[in-house]
Amino acid sequence: MFKLKPPLSVLIKSSIRSILKNKGRTILTSLGIIIGVTSVILLTSIGNGLKIYISQQFESLGANTIFVAPGKLFNDKGGFNNQGGANRFISTSFSLTDVTDLKRGARGTTVVPVSVATVEIKSNKTTKSDVSIVGSNYQYGVSANYLPSAGNGRWFSKEEEDKKADVVILGSAIATDLFPNSSALGKRIIVKSKNMKVIGVLDKKGASFGGPDVDQYIFTPIGNVFEFNGNQKINQMLIKTSSKDQVAETKATVNKIMLKKFDKDAFTVFDSSQLLSSINSIIGTLTIGLAGIAAISLVVGGIGIMNIMLVTVSERTKEVGLRKAIGAYPRAILIQFLIEAMILSSIGGFIGIALGWLGSLAINKFFPAQVTFSSVLVAFGVSAIVGIIFGVAPASKASKLSPIEALRYE
Amino acid sequence: MTKSPSSKNKPGKVVLELRNVVKTYTSGNTTFNALDGVSLQIREGEFVSITGPSGSGKSTLMHIIGLLDNPTSGEVLLQDRNISRLKETQMAQIRNVTLGFVFQQFNLLAKTSALENVQLPLIYSDIARAKHDSLGIEMLTKVGLESKLKNTPAQLSGGQQQRVAIARALINDPKIILADEPTGNLDSKSGKDVMELFHHLNEVEGRTIVLVTHDMDLARQANRIIIIKDGKVTTQNV
Repeated sequence: MFKLKPPLSVLIKSSIRSILKNKGRTILTSLGIIIGVTSVILLTSIGNGLKIYISQQFESLGANTIFVAPGKLFNDKGGFNNQGGANRFISTSFSLTDVTDLKRGARGTTVVPVSVATVEIKSNKTTKSDVSIVGSNYQYGVSANYLPSAGNGRWFSKEEEDKKADVVILGSAIATDLFPNSSALGKRIIVKSKNMKVIGVLDKKGASFGGPDVDQYIFTPIGNVFEFNGNQKINQMLIKTSSKDQVAETKATVNKIMLKKFDKDAFTVFDSSQLLSSINSIIGTLTIGLAGIAAISLVVGGIGIMNIMLVTVSERTKEVGLRKAIGAYPRAILIQFLIEAMILSSIGGFIGIALGWLGSLAINKFFPAQVTFSSVLVAFGVSAIVGIIFGVAPASKASKLSPIEALRYE
Repeated sequence: MTKSPSSKNKPGKVVLELRNVVKTYTSGNTTFNALDGVSLQIREGEFVSITGPSGSGKSTLMHIIGLLDNPTSGEVLLQDRNISRLKETQMAQIRNVTLGFVFQQFNLLAKTSALENVQLPLIYSDIARAKHDSLGIEMLTKVGLESKLKNTPAQLSGGQQQRVAIARALINDPKIILADEPTGNLDSKSGKDVMELFHHLNEVEGRTIVLVTHDMDLARQANRIIIIKDGKVTTQNV
C-alpha cells in the first residue's frame, strides 16, 4: 500500500503556515470562492425557504381541500399550463346551480363558492379604492382557515349568509388602513354605498408569492358580492372532504359532474398537493438555475487560485529544490501544493458558508430563507473540488521541477 | 598532497563508485560532454574535496554523486548497488537515507524554526514521528545550537544558519555528506568554524565528507583532492 510521506497532518500544517504567511493575498485569492459560495448558499436558502413557506401555506388550507377553478391550470406534465390559460381564466365562471349540483353529487363534503368583486370602501377616516371583497358562505372561514382568532370577532353565520346581512370580516392590513388608531371590530364601513358592520378582523396572514394578499381582503356573505357585481357569477369553488383519503374519489366525482356542463379545458379540479408540487417544481428549477449562475463565480474563483498557486510555485522554486534534494519524491511535492490549493479554496468555502448563512438569517427577516444542510455540504464540496481542479496544474508544475534547476533558481 | 596529520580514520570500504561516467548536454546541434569518462571511488570515512575551475564539470559531478542526476553513460554504484538508471522517486528515497546536503546558501525554510528545519528530511523518511523531536535536538546540540531550537533563520547568523543546515544533513545518519561551497556565503571566522565542524564530523564521528569547492586552500584541508578539468579527473590524490 502506498504510504503517504510526509503524513497528511504534516502537509496540512505546513500548508496552513505558508498560507498564513500571506494573509492579505489569501483573502483576496479566496474572494472569488467566497462570493461564489455565498451566492449559492443564499440562493438555495431562498429557494428552500420559499418551498417551506408555500408548503406551510398549503398545509393551513388542509390536505383535504379540492379546488374547482376556471380554465385549464395545469399541463399534461403536471406543470402549470402557460398556453392561453389567461383567456380561459376570464371566460369561464360558475353559477349557483353548479354549487348545488356539486353539493348533491359529492355527498359528505362541504362545497364553498367564492366570488370576488372590486369595490371602493370608506371608513370614517379614509377611502380606499380597488379593494377585493370576497363573497362566500358561512363555511368558508373554517374551510380556508380564515377564522378570526379569539377576541377579534367571528365569521358570519348561516342566518347572516341567508339574509345577506351587511357584515364584513377584514384582513389585518386593510383593517389597519381603515382604522389606523383603534380596533376595527364593531366599526362601520361603506362598501359601494352599502353601510356594513365589521364583525371580525383576521390575524396577519402574509402575502403568498404572486398570489392574493389575504391581509388586503374583505370577506362578506356571497349575496352581497353578487349585488356589487350585478351578476351571480362564481369565480371558484372549494370542496372540503371529511378526510384526506376521500380526496381522489371526490376529485373524480367532481370532474364527472363538471364535464357534463363544461368543456374539459374550461375548468380545473385540483387539490392542494397537486398545486404544491407544481409550485415546488418551478421553485426547484429556478433555484437550480440561479445557483448555477452563481456557481460560475466559483470557476472564476478557481482560476484566481490557480493563478496565485502558480505564483507560489515560482516563489518557492528553491524550497521545492531543497525538499527534492533531501528526499521529497515528486508525488510528495504534488500533494503538498494540492493540499495548499485545497485549503485556500476551502477557506473561501468556509467564509462563504458563514456569510451565506448570516445573509440568509438577515434575509429571513423579510423574506423566507432557510439554509439547507445539503447546500452547505455541496458548497463546501464544490469549493474543495475547485481547489483540486485548479490546483493540479501548479502542483504538477512544482512536482516536475528538476531539483538541480530549482536549487539554482534565484 | 599529504594527508591531514590529524586524520585518525583509516578509509574503509568503497561507499560510492563512478565507472567511466559520461554526462552529455545537448543544445541545438552541438553536444557537450560535461563529464567525459570520470571514474572515481569514495571510501567510508574519507574527507574528499572536489575542485576545479568553473565550467570544469565540478557541478555536474556533484549532481551525479548527489544522485540528483543520472549519467548519460557509465555506472554509479552506491555500496555496490548500481543506481545509474533509477527513477526519480527511487533516487529521492536514496537521497533521503544516504546523503546529507549542505549548500552554499544554506537553503533553510524561512519563518520555520531551526528544529523544524533540521527535521525536514525526517518527514520524507520512515523514521517514527515520536523520534523526530529527540533526533532534531540531538543534531542541533551536536552543532552547538541547542539553545536556538525555536529560532527562525532570520534570527540566526550566517554561520549559525549553516550549522543548522549541517544538522539537517546529519539527521538521517547519511553515508555521505555532500557540501557544495559550504563556506562561500560566510565570513572567514564562520567559514573556519564550519570547516572545523566538518573535520570533527570526519575525524571523531568517522563521517564520509565530500566537499565541492573552487577554493584550493579549502580543498587542501581534505584527505584527498580530486581535481577536475574539462570533464575529466586530472589528479586524484590518494
